[in-house]
Amino acid sequence: MINKLKKLAKSLSLSELRSGMKITAKEFVNTKITVQYPEEKTPISPRFRGLHALRRYPNGEERCIACKLCEAVCPANAITIESEMRDDGSRRTTQYDIDLFKCIFCGFCEEACPVDAIVETQIFDYTFESRDGSIMTKDRLLKVGDDNEKSISKAKSEDSKYR
Amino acid sequence: MADIKIEIDGQIVNAKAGETLIAITDREGISVPRFCYHKKLSTSASCRMCLVDIEGVPKPQTSCSTPVSDGMKIHTQNEKAKASQKAVMEFLLINHPLDCPICDQGGECELQDVAVEYGSDVSRFSEGKRVVAASDIGPLIQTDMTRCIHCTRCVRFGSEIAGMMEMGGTGRGEDLKIEPFLAEGITSELSGNMIDVCPVGALTSKPFRYELRSWQMVSNESIARHDLTGSNVYAQTYKGQVKRIVSGDNEAVNETWISDRDRFSYEGLTHENRLLTPQIKVEGQWKEVEWNVALDFAIKGLSNTVLNNRKAHKLGGLASSTTTTEELYLMQKLLREIGCENLDHRLNVNNLDEAIHLESNLKLQALEQVDHALIIGANLRLEQPMINHRLRKAQLSGANITALNVKEFDYNYALNHVSVAPNEIATILAGVLKIVLEKKSIELPEYLSAISPSSSSVELAKDLLNAERPVILLGEHIINNKQAASIAQLIAEIAKQVGANTLNLSISANALGAQHVNFVPNSVGMNVNEMFKAEMRAFLLLDVYPEYDFHHANSAIEALSKEDVFVVSLNSFNNDLVAQYSDVLLPMAAMYETSGSQININHDIQSFTAMVKAPDEAKPAWKVLKVLADLLELPGFHYENSTQILEEFEHQPAHEHSQETAIDLSQQSTAIETVWMHNCYHSDALLRHAKSLSMSTLGQVNSASMNANTAKELALSDGDEYLGVPVDITETVADLCVFVNSNQATNIRSMS
Repeated sequence: MINKLKKLAKSLSLSELRSGMKITAKEFVNTKITVQYPEEKTPISPRFRGLHALRRYPNGEERCIACKLCEAVCPANAITIESEMRDDGSRRTTQYDIDLFKCIFCGFCEEACPVDAIVETQIFDYTFESRDGSIMTKDRLLKVGDDNEKSISKAKSEDSKYR
Repeated sequence: MADIKIEIDGQIVNAKAGETLIAITDREGISVPRFCYHKKLSTSASCRMCLVDIEGVPKPQTSCSTPVSDGMKIHTQNEKAKASQKAVMEFLLINHPLDCPICDQGGECELQDVAVEYGSDVSRFSEGKRVVAASDIGPLIQTDMTRCIHCTRCVRFGSEIAGMMEMGGTGRGEDLKIEPFLAEGITSELSGNMIDVCPVGALTSKPFRYELRSWQMVSNESIARHDLTGSNVYAQTYKGQVKRIVSGDNEAVNETWISDRDRFSYEGLTHENRLLTPQIKVEGQWKEVEWNVALDFAIKGLSNTVLNNRKAHKLGGLASSTTTTEELYLMQKLLREIGCENLDHRLNVNNLDEAIHLESNLKLQALEQVDHALIIGANLRLEQPMINHRLRKAQLSGANITALNVKEFDYNYALNHVSVAPNEIATILAGVLKIVLEKKSIELPEYLSAISPSSSSVELAKDLLNAERPVILLGEHIINNKQAASIAQLIAEIAKQVGANTLNLSISANALGAQHVNFVPNSVGMNVNEMFKAEMRAFLLLDVYPEYDFHHANSAIEALSKEDVFVVSLNSFNNDLVAQYSDVLLPMAAMYETSGSQININHDIQSFTAMVKAPDEAKPAWKVLKVLADLLELPGFHYENSTQILEEFEHQPAHEHSQETAIDLSQQSTAIETVWMHNCYHSDALLRHAKSLSMSTLGQVNSASMNANTAKELALSDGDEYLGVPVDITETVADLCVFVNSNQATNIRSMS
């Protein structure tokens, strides 16, 4: 009986509504955390493992030396490399393909690379428009590297002190 | 040596007194790191990696140079041993560039493996590293001498196994460099083994440079079929292509070495001249067709020319002896089923009435034990490198070796050279036989009565009689000698009288296989030379290239090219000449692309499987021959694999061809004789298409050697050409004969 009376009093006094409205009122004046994607983006860790890229040295020479350690370490067998001796006698790839449908974005390729050639960038929003679009060829990987060299080197330098 | 017991890491091990410690640990499966030690080379103890702790000895000892004695207690893994191994590893890595990512040895590198297992993870060396400029030592071996750790395995290999000290250490201390002494680089016929013995990436394969990592390839046992040895190799393949050949271990055959031609011939497999699709010639025009069309065309052609009108005797079958025994067996079975007895594999023999019949009755391992060897007509080092290696071992342990040759070749061991013109060999041997028979007081046969032994005969006979385990080796230079059969008979007779073994090296590749399956005409059939004189209507050819394979190249080409002769060619390579005379071209699988077997000088049937699929439409020849037989509706060709063919012939007794030809020494020609030998890297079709071998110093050899007197007789001088081959005037050649060693097509036009 007592409980029923208490419940009645509570609902008549609108106490629940008022406590709810209090939160609404408080959040009304607080700063918003909603991000207006895609116009706005959340910050990304420098260790984020997104789309792959092949990097170059500042003088334009590609870094990759076709050691094939990334191919060997890749747990998904997503990387295919063919190599030969370039005319200047250096060891270079003639083919460097990553199948993004096979890739599990573990980052082992980046770990294995002795010259920081293959890296995983912070790019995660990419699409394919054809069935073979998932194959990142050497040219496409180098293009990703060229276009994003600034952000890649920034991320690498931020992370370097923890390595 | 006395049996003793020693203790290694607490385990009691049986050993012989005086054995080196590392040999015992290797046998017992106890791992001791090493770089300079190699079981087939002498001990240098220069890398210091195999240090172990021996109780009672204050300092750690190198196990490769420590002989064991009874009761010795050895620790390979205790703190002292480990600390010394780690320290040595650190020193070895001081000047090593650690460029493993671009090093071809990466993944199969002894230094890498041992560094991971025994080394420290951080180097304390921060000073500048030593850099050594690379030297170009030829088209086969790539050098990166900065990586060298001075183990001297390659140097010891050169002086001890190859017998040519071409690599050596110059300078001292930090300036020590391992480099070739001569600017022309490495010219040994066994040089490729340096790649195998090098524990680091200082010496790597040049044709294979930067192509693949060792872990990417599949490695399978196979047999190299360029000579009578049949060296055991590993064929390493990747995506359906042979990418590299490395040596296999077989004490009875090639120990652990292989010749360069076995190692680098695989390059020919991907040559642009490979025949890839079946082709038929319609009204003079080549047309690429399906297999069934080509085979039907071949059957129709054979039927029209020989089969339908009972003219099987107008059909000839010729095969190269580089093919497998199975292929040769099937081809002779097919031909004999359709009633054709004209078949031959002895394509390069001038006069088959004078064919050599001599058995090989000494195994390779036993060849090391001989105390006297007489080599007749062979440049053994280049023609049969692994047999020469065994003979060299015999010489080093004291055997006395004599060579009876038209030219004083470069040997890699000490021997007595006797220079003879081809037409004197039989007389000299007859002299030897006469002395031997007289010594044994055996009645002289008729043909020896007129012989008066020369001084060289006396010497040769003395050596043979004094020897306990002599061997006589008959080489390839004799096959076209006018008295070849008599020479072989004389050798057999001498060998019988002095108790010598004989080795018949006048044949090569799988010629023993061809003999085994009787790939020679019987009494009613024609041999190769008779076929070209007869009016043949059709030919079936198995991997034949007339410009190189035939002694009578011109009459062969003429006979094959006749308008009304139908020629079916099973070939692995195509060229203008083959296309000119053939009517059907059937692409066949080459070495490493087909299963089969070879019979080597030990008379062992060595079988192998196909390592890779033949390119494009090419098929193993045994399959093509089987289908041809099926289309001809012949019985008994129900084979599903080549092993069934092997089972059919392996238990057949080998065919004996020891027909007794009377020894006739009366024919004495005084004309200048020419011995034509193909360059050792041009002796079969696959080798001729292997680019790196052709570019090497040995592959470039192309000369007609003669002495000044002969040159005067022939009115030739330096810079002229003899039979199209540049003349080389040297006094190392016997008088009145020419020795041609050529990388060109056979050109013996002016010879009969």
